[in-house]
Amino acid sequence: MRLFDTELKNLRDGIMAMAGIAEEMIELTIQALAERSSAKADRVNELDRQMDEWELKLDQLCVDLLALHSPAATDLRLIASSLKIIPEVERIGDHCCNIARRASFVHPPILSEGSLERLGQETRGMVRRAVDAFVGHDAALARAVIKNDDTVDDLYAQIYRELLRIMLADPLCIERASHLILVIKNWERIADQATNIAEEVLYILEGRSAKHPYLRGNAVE
Amino acid sequence: MAAALPFRPRRLSRLTNRIMHLALWGLALIFVLVLALFIGSILKQGWSVLNFGFLSRMPETLDAGGGIKPEIFNSLYLVALSLAIALPIGLGAGIYMAEYAGQGRALRFLRLCIETLAATPSIVLALFGMIVFVQMMGWSFSIRSGAVTLALLNIPVITRVTEMSLMAVPRELKEASYGLGATKLQTILKVALPHAATGILTGLVLTAGRAFGESAILVFTAGTNTSQTFPDFRLTVPGETLSVHLWYVTSDGTLPDAREIAAGTAAVMIVVLLALNLSVRVLDRFIRRKTR
Amino acid sequence: MLSPQTPETKPVKLSVRNMDFRYGEKKVLDGLSLDIHAERVTAIIGPSGCGKSTFLKCFNRIHEISAPVKVSGDMMIDGVDIYRGGIDEVDLRRRVGMVFQKPNPFPKSIYENVAFGPRLFGVKDKATLDGIVEDALRKSALWDEVKDRLKESATGMSGGQQQRLCIARALAVNPEVLLMDEPCSALDPIATAKIEELIVELKENLTIVIVTHNMQQAARVSDYTAFFWLGKLIEMDLTERIFTTPRERMTEDYLTGRFG
Repeated sequence: MRLFDTELKNLRDGIMAMAGIAEEMIELTIQALAERSSAKADRVNELDRQMDEWELKLDQLCVDLLALHSPAATDLRLIASSLKIIPEVERIGDHCCNIARRASFVHPPILSEGSLERLGQETRGMVRRAVDAFVGHDAALARAVIKNDDTVDDLYAQIYRELLRIMLADPLCIERASHLILVIKNWERIADQATNIAEEVLYILEGRSAKHPYLRGNAVE
Repeated sequence: MAAALPFRPRRLSRLTNRIMHLALWGLALIFVLVLALFIGSILKQGWSVLNFGFLSRMPETLDAGGGIKPEIFNSLYLVALSLAIALPIGLGAGIYMAEYAGQGRALRFLRLCIETLAATPSIVLALFGMIVFVQMMGWSFSIRSGAVTLALLNIPVITRVTEMSLMAVPRELKEASYGLGATKLQTILKVALPHAATGILTGLVLTAGRAFGESAILVFTAGTNTSQTFPDFRLTVPGETLSVHLWYVTSDGTLPDAREIAAGTAAVMIVVLLALNLSVRVLDRFIRRKTR
Repeated sequence: MLSPQTPETKPVKLSVRNMDFRYGEKKVLDGLSLDIHAERVTAIIGPSGCGKSTFLKCFNRIHEISAPVKVSGDMMIDGVDIYRGGIDEVDLRRRVGMVFQKPNPFPKSIYENVAFGPRLFGVKDKATLDGIVEDALRKSALWDEVKDRLKESATGMSGGQQQRLCIARALAVNPEVLLMDEPCSALDPIATAKIEELIVELKENLTIVIVTHNMQQAARVSDYTAFFWLGKLIEMDLTERIFTTPRERMTEDYLTGRFG
């Protein structure tokens, strides 16, 4: 294999590794919320450090590939998109840290049974599918992720309304509720990141941007 | 690593090199020595004769003390005339072969003709000249018979030189010319010929040298007599040249100073030929500098 | 450079329809159809031996100098058939100029090189010739470098200068189209950059078709890029599109270096 192909493989593998860390962080975060475990929250922070190291390394790799190999066509789109995917994954990690940090503050639970867990799992699913679409060159899967963002948005809105009701009904819950608002906001942001990643995957595979469909030709449809 | 490569010991290679170097030097030296010997012996023989009077007197038929004035004129005149005939024909043929003929049978046939003519011994050409021009056409021994037959000697060489010089013109130059919208003729005149000029000119001068030294042809066509008027530009009079004179006085043997005259004539010829060869070199350098 | 957003406004200058080209029995170009727009730079890329130079040389019929050729199909300039439309090939070559791979200035002075073309067409007046020579040398960004040594021999110039001289020489006859056959392949990067800059300036008034084996050069200077392979046109599109999202697999493989 040529040096360039080896480096491209390293790039893909690196992104996959980063995504793997992200998924592990999401899993731990879900558990930390459920179990109120500060040990797991600490682990999330450790993983975030690894994530940051990956970001620096892969950013540099992308720039080197552009400088040294003058990539064209698919290779070019891969590298250009990687430069956008990498920070998205890194931010997923940051949001996980934000959520995990509040694990101890949301107990005893006030929300209806399972709704918070559902939000976490939906989000985790989206991230996993976005990464699978990247790894498997799966445009259909990427489109599915983009559509799924609506589901998560609805779930977020639903929980938000519930929290407002709870706060109005019982002022003693306000502290826990306000933490929970921030928690669900972060989940929603992670889902947005997964969507962005899926959009970049579509660009790599098809060569047209999938963003802002209201502006012109819709790559999603 | 495998067994050491079987290199020859360096000292042996260097020695061989040195020996070859010396040998080649030696050969060159021999060449120079032979030349010196040859010129020396001629000069020694003809020394007594070589003075300005020799060059400005008419030749004697029976007595000693003859000169070679008319012969010098005839030699130069014949070379000039034969070149004047041969040049347009040779140049034209060369241009045709290099630029216009295809690669097919026409070209091969032409080449065969030219090579045959070039390979013909000059004595055979001489006989041809005598039969056709001197006898059949009734021109008798004359300058014009000599000039035309001599031209036959020159044409193949000039053709070949022209053809080769033109073929040596880089294809890119001609392409550039065509690319600008030149016709074939314009390209030949403005690009190919100027580039080939050095080669053609050099070939011309060398041809002149050869024609100058030619004897057999002129014996049978221009004769061994010469006009008594000087200078005589008429084409119908016989014209003995320097080379023919040399042969004649030696083979006839009746002149008392035959040997000296022959040697003196040879010396004059050598001087002229040397001058010609030097001028080729100067010409070459001049043209090269102009197109740098 | 043209982008996919702005529509093409320039007319078609050269057009090719179903063109085949044969050397003897061998078919070198097969079924080519494409349009070259006026005042744009069109680059032709492809692996060695794919017929790019051969194709280029069909536009000014310069093949015919060495051997008779067989061209079938249509090849047109401004709608007139180049081969069968009664065009005089000498006049065609004035309208369609050519710059070759290796700079090939005549072994004459700089002035004589540029004046060669106009002289062919009968321009004799010294003042006119002086004007044409200066204009052509200015257009090829050489004037300032050589204005004081116009009488010097062209062969004393550097490779890059010689190539610009060849461009000036071609421009001196006021062509409409300039064909460039790998013009920079014998030059160093700085000389190459100067000529690429020149190409972008020249296209204001000239249709340029450039054959290059350097993909990045095609990407840098051209508006349209055509990819040839084994005598066939595989894909042709706006340069920007070809280099980011080529449609054909073969184009993609060639651009990413995964050929063969």
